[in-house]
Amino acid sequence: MTETTLDAVAGMIAVVMGDELVDEPITMETSFAEDLELESIEFVALAEQVQARWGDAVDFTGWLAGKSLDEVIGLTVGDLVEHVDSCLS
Amino acid sequence: MPVVAAGDASLHVVHLGARGGRVVMLHGLLLGNVATWYFGVGPRLAADHRVVLYDLRGHGRSSRPATGYDLPTMAADLGAVIGEDPDPVDLVGHSFGGLVALRYALDHPERVRRIVLVEAPSPPGAPSEITSFLDQDPEAMVAALPPGLRDAVAGGRRQARRLVEHLAQLATTTSVLADLAALSAFDPQALATLHHPVLCVVGARSSCVEAGGGYAAAIPGARLEVLDGGHYLHLDQPDALAACVEAFLDG
Repeated sequence: MTETTLDAVAGMIAVVMGDELVDEPITMETSFAEDLELESIEFVALAEQVQARWGDAVDFTGWLAGKSLDEVIGLTVGDLVEHVDSCLS
Repeated sequence: MPVVAAGDASLHVVHLGARGGRVVMLHGLLLGNVATWYFGVGPRLAADHRVVLYDLRGHGRSSRPATGYDLPTMAADLGAVIGEDPDPVDLVGHSFGGLVALRYALDHPERVRRIVLVEAPSPPGAPSEITSFLDQDPEAMVAALPPGLRDAVAGGRRQARRLVEHLAQLATTTSVLADLAALSAFDPQALATLHHPVLCVVGARSSCVEAGGGYAAAIPGARLEVLDGGHYLHLDQPDALAACVEAFLDG
């Protein structure tokens, strides 16, 4: 299950970043800001992809509302994958 | 990606929250986009409001028309985002986004319920500040950026490169700087006709403190709130800013 969600999220990141995606494989430990150097507007686009795929089943807004800016900046792909899985389980 | 057609522009819109009154949130020129409100303040408001964020023309994931960066056109863009729903909306604008909200409220007072101006500058102060920002040497320019961007630029990172590309594209392929230079201050007599509840929020360490006080004085019944921070209050004081906007909208 976790693997599937990771694949899905990795695919969405590839769509958002296009040919600027780093060569390294995306893992649960990959951080959005540090490793992918994702822009905040690209993170919003990623959230839109998540919503398009899983709809209201995944509460992205409520998840973000509980986080400080520092926490958002420190987010990893794994944090997102685990949140998606916890919403879908 | 939800998109709204507005004249020659297509505007990227983001909806947060499923219940409550509509709150349309506008970001500032050049450095802003939907992310300004997407992290911190927007999700907090979305618990009790239907929050609508959009990228101004030329910004974020909206299209970048060559012209139309003047207040009347951008207020018309806002009108397209608000759409046909006749229920009046709350408007929250940061910096230049606050001026767009004001312009819209003056043109269509019946469509607006309440207004929050966060760090709204007073033209022609705004364009001279921005052109002087763009005229600075790179080091001074970096020092004037909000904290997160400053770190990114200092690290020579991808985010910094893309920000510089965005600014260069806007400055060289659009009328944004000329439109800013042509911007004039709001007529105090027009502001005195506004009957909406208005909250002006400024950062104590920002150059917009005086402007915020000016709007609060010119708009009948407007309140002024001073937070400890600079121009980028949503980054400096996200919790305090969210709490004060929330209290105003729930009051």
